[in-house]
Amino acid sequence: MLIERKWKKWFLFYLPMAAFIAFTLFPFYWMAITAFRPDAELYATWRQPNAAPLWTLHPTLEHFVGLMQTTAFPTWLWNTMLIAVVSTLISLVCGMFAGYALARLRFRGSEFLGTAIFVTYLVPQTLLFIPLADIVRDLQLGNTPWALMLTYPTFLIPFCTWLLMGYFKTIPKELEECARIDGATRFGAMVRIIFPVAVPGILSAGIFAFTLSWNEFIYALVFMASADQKTVPVGVVSELIRGDIFFWGQLMMGALLGSVPVALVYSFFVEYYVTGLTGSVKG
Amino acid sequence: MGGGRAAQDLHLSTERARVSRLTRALESEKLLATALLAPATAILLLFIAYPFVMALWFSLTSIRVGDAGEFVGLANFSKAIHDTIFRMAFENTVFYTFWATIFKLVLGMWLALLLNRHFRFKRIIRASMLLPFIIPTVLSAFAWRWMFDPTFSVMNWMLYHAGLITDRMPFLSSGDWAMWCAVAVNTWRGMPFFAITLLAGLQTISPDLHEAAALDGAGAWHRFWHVTWPLLLPVTLVVVVFSVIQTFSDFQLIYVLTGGGPANSTHLIATYAYQIGVGSGLLGEGAALSLFMFPVLFAVVWVQLRFLKRMDNA
Amino acid sequence: MAQFSRRKFLQYSGVGMAGILAAHRAPVFAQANTVHILRWNDFVPAADKVLREVFAPEVMKALGLKLNVETVNANDIPARATASIQSGNGPDIFMLLNNYPHLYASAAVDVGAIADEVGKAQGGIYAASAQLNRVGGKWVSMPWSVVPAMIAYRKSWFDEVGARTFPKTWQEYHAVGKKLKANKHPIGQTLGNTFGDAPTFTYPLLWSYGGQEVDAKGKVVLDSKETVDSVRFMAQFWKDAHDEGGLAWDDSNNNRAFLSGDISASLNGASIYVAALNGAEKFKTEKGAPLHTDILHAPLPAGPKGAHAYHTAFNHMVMKYSKNAKGAIEFLRWAHRKENYEKWFLVQKGFAVAPTREWEKHAMWKNDPVMLPFRNGAAAQKRLMGYASQPDKRAAEAWNKFLVTVMYAQACSGKMKPEEAVKWAAGELRKIYT
Repeated sequence: MLIERKWKKWFLFYLPMAAFIAFTLFPFYWMAITAFRPDAELYATWRQPNAAPLWTLHPTLEHFVGLMQTTAFPTWLWNTMLIAVVSTLISLVCGMFAGYALARLRFRGSEFLGTAIFVTYLVPQTLLFIPLADIVRDLQLGNTPWALMLTYPTFLIPFCTWLLMGYFKTIPKELEECARIDGATRFGAMVRIIFPVAVPGILSAGIFAFTLSWNEFIYALVFMASADQKTVPVGVVSELIRGDIFFWGQLMMGALLGSVPVALVYSFFVEYYVTGLTGSVKG
Repeated sequence: MGGGRAAQDLHLSTERARVSRLTRALESEKLLATALLAPATAILLLFIAYPFVMALWFSLTSIRVGDAGEFVGLANFSKAIHDTIFRMAFENTVFYTFWATIFKLVLGMWLALLLNRHFRFKRIIRASMLLPFIIPTVLSAFAWRWMFDPTFSVMNWMLYHAGLITDRMPFLSSGDWAMWCAVAVNTWRGMPFFAITLLAGLQTISPDLHEAAALDGAGAWHRFWHVTWPLLLPVTLVVVVFSVIQTFSDFQLIYVLTGGGPANSTHLIATYAYQIGVGSGLLGEGAALSLFMFPVLFAVVWVQLRFLKRMDNA
Repeated sequence: MAQFSRRKFLQYSGVGMAGILAAHRAPVFAQANTVHILRWNDFVPAADKVLREVFAPEVMKALGLKLNVETVNANDIPARATASIQSGNGPDIFMLLNNYPHLYASAAVDVGAIADEVGKAQGGIYAASAQLNRVGGKWVSMPWSVVPAMIAYRKSWFDEVGARTFPKTWQEYHAVGKKLKANKHPIGQTLGNTFGDAPTFTYPLLWSYGGQEVDAKGKVVLDSKETVDSVRFMAQFWKDAHDEGGLAWDDSNNNRAFLSGDISASLNGASIYVAALNGAEKFKTEKGAPLHTDILHAPLPAGPKGAHAYHTAFNHMVMKYSKNAKGAIEFLRWAHRKENYEKWFLVQKGFAVAPTREWEKHAMWKNDPVMLPFRNGAAAQKRLMGYASQPDKRAAEAWNKFLVTVMYAQACSGKMKPEEAVKWAAGELRKIYT
C-alpha cells in the first residue's frame, strides 16, 4: 500500500472527487428543486432580489399530480419500458450469437462481416428515418411498438456484438473443448457452457442497450403517432411544451421520473456492468 | 409386442438420425456461423442497408416531399459544398466533436483513476456518477437550456452572487459561447461512459505492476504515463471511437439546446440536414448533407480497426 | 442484506407494474368513418379541449364521424408530414403553418368546394390566406385561422418615459426604447431560429423600409439600399433599446420575460395577455396590481415605406393518401359552420381569428378593449414571404433557413456589418431562386 500524506490526499483525491460529484449531480439537484417548486417561484428572474433558485421553501406536488393526471405519462413510461426491454432482448440474442460466431468460429468472410456490422453503426439515424418510415409503413408497423422494437436493434446490435465478442475472446477455449470432448455439440457448448460464464458481459451489454433505447428520439417521434403510443422523451417534449409555454415544473418532473427506471436497473446491476466491461476490455 | 417395440425403436432411431443430422450440420463451423449470424444480419440488412441505399438514391435526385423528382447526379452535393451555412455546420461539428472528446477523455480518465480507489460510499458514488448518461439526452438538454436561459439562468444567479459578474453571461445568445456550452453539456453527458469503461480497464491492471514501478522509484505521474496509459490504450481507443461516432452524428442535444441558432451558428451536420430535409421538404438535399458525415466516420473507424489489429498482432 | 432488500423491492415494483398495466388502455380499433387530424399544441390549451370534448362528440352525433385529435409541437409537424407523405400513410388532415401548403401541394386533395362555400357564407376569405392556400389556381388547403401578432407593452412604463400613445414610426419607437432600456425595462424581441416571433418581426421590418426578397419575376433584389438601411437601423435599435439576450430566444422566452417583468414590450400573439389574464394572482406588476391591467396592444410601427405586418396562418390540408378524404372534407365543412366554429373562436378570446371577414363583426370583440387591435390584424395583412413573387416553395425554403432573420441577427450581434449581412443573405437567397 502506498502511503500518502494527509494534505496530498485532500488535494489529489477529495477535492477533485467533490468537484466531479458537484459537476455531475448539480443538474439533477436543480431539476429536483424545479420539479417541486410552485409555479409562482419558477418565474423569478435571476436578477430579482428575492430569487432563490437553489432551494424552495414551499415544495409542492402539483407538478407530479399534473403530470400523472393531465398527460399520458404513465402510458409513456410503460411504452418506453416495454420497447426498451424487447429491443434489448432482441439485440442481446442477436449480439450473443453474432459475437460468438465472430469470436470463436473460423469461416470465410468473418473479418468482412465483423467490419460490416460495425460500419452499420456509422449510418446516422437522421439519414435513415425517412426511408425507414416507408419500410415501417409497408410492414404495417406504423404507430405500433413493433416499429421501434425492430428498428432500435439497428443501433444496439453493433455495440452488443463488439462488447460480447471482446468478452468471449477472454474465455479460455479449453472450456468448450472439454465440453465437446464430453459429447456436447458446438451449439450446446455455446449455450450451456460459454453463455453462463459470460453473464457479466451479457448483462453489461444489456444494460447499455437498455439505456440507448430509452434515449432514442427521432424514430419514436416519426413512427409513433398517437399520444398513447409515444415514448417518454417524445411525449415529454411534445406534450409539455405548448409553444409559448414550457411547463417547466412538469418538464423537470417528467425528466426525473423518466430516468428513474433506468437508474434503478443500474443501481442493481452496476457491479455486473463494470465486471462485464472489464472482461470484454481484457480481450 | 416385439413388433411394436421394433416399430418404436425404428421411429426413435429415425428421430435421432434426423436430430443428429441437424446437429451434425451445425457442427460445421461455417453453417453454425451462418445460422448464428442470420438474425443480426437480417435485421441490419432490412432496417439499415436497404434504407441506406434508398437514402443514397435520394441524394442523387431532386426528390422533395410528395414529388419523386429526377436524377441530378452530384448536384445536391455541390450545392452543399457552396452553402455557407453547411460549411459552418461542418466546422461546428468538427469543433464540437474534437473538444468534447478531449474533455471527455481527460475528465473521464481522471474520474476513473479516482474511482479506482477504495473509499466510503464507493458503490453509491459510482452508481450516481452514471446518472448523466442514463437520463435521456432530450430531457437533460432541456434542463441545461433552462439553466442557461438568459432571463432565468441559475448559473448567472450563482456567478452574480459570488461577485464574479455584474451582467449576465451570454450563454446561448452568442454563437461562440453557445458552441462551448454545447461542448460542456456533451462532456457532462458523456464523461460517465468514459469513466466507467476506463475504470473497467483499470481494474484489469494488476496492482503489482504499480508496486513494482513504485519500488523502482517512479512517481505517480510517471507510473500513470508509463504503466497505466499503455495498458489502457486498447480500451481507450475503442471508447474514443464510439464516442466520436456518437458525437459527430449528434442531433438531439443541439436540436433541444439551441435549435441551431443563434443565427444558424450552432448547427451541426445532423441538425442542418434535418432542417433542410424535413423543414423545407428538400429530401434529396437533406440526404446529401447527411451523407457528408459518412466518410469522416468511416475514416475514424478504419483507423481504429487498423490500430487495434496492429496491437493484436504485437 | 442487499439480496433481501432487492427481493422486497422487486415485490413492490411488481405490484406497481401491475397497476400501470391495468391503466394501459386497450388499442383503439379503427372504425369505418374515422378522421385523424394532426394539429399543433395550441397556445390556448382550452382550444384543444374544445376540439376533443366538444367537437368530437358533436360531430359523431351530427355525421356519425369519429374524430381523432392528435396534437404535437408545431416544430415537429414538418417531420410528421414528410414521413407521412413519403410513406403514404398517416393523419387524414394535417394542420400546416404559413406557406407549407405550397410545399406539400402535390399530396393534397382539392378543397375548393369548402373554400367557396365558406367564403360566400362568411364575407369572403382574406386575400393573404387565399394566397397561402392556393397553388396553381386550386385550393390545396383550407385556411382555418390566423394568429395576429401585435406588440404587447406595459402601459405604465411607457407612460413613465412620456409615451402616452404607442409610437407610430420606427424612429419614435427607437427613441422611446432608449429611455426604456435606461430604466432597465428594455424591449424584448427574438432574433433566433424560431418559426413564430422572429419572422413576424423581421419580414415586416424589411418591407416597411421598402426592402423585399425578390421582384415579381423572382429575381433576387434583397441587396438594395433600402434593405441596408433597415439592417443598419435595426443594429442600432438593438443595442440601444433591446434585451440583447434575444439572439438566443425562441418563441417562449419573450413570454416568460414579459410575464416576469423583465421587458417592457414584445411582438407576440395574444398569449402573453391571455396568460396574464388566466394567472391574475401569479403575474403582478411591481406595484402589486394584476399584470393584465397594465398591458396594451399595438401594431408594428411604420417605416419610410409604410407599416406592414405578418401574421401566422394556420391551414388544414386533406391528404391525397387518406382513405377517408370524403369524411375529412365533411368534417371540415361541418367545423366551419358558424355555430360550430364559434365555439372554437370564442375560447380563443382573440388570440386566433378567423380567415373570413364575417368574424370581425362578432360581439366577442366588445368584451375586452385590450384585445381590439387583434380584430383587424389578419385583414390588414398585405404581403407574404417571397414578396413580390408568390409565397411558393422557394419562399418556404428561404423562410426555413431563417435567411431574413439571420441577416438581422448577424448585424445585431456585431458579427457582420450591415452591408455584409445583406450581401450574405442575398447570396444565399440567389442559391434558392436560381
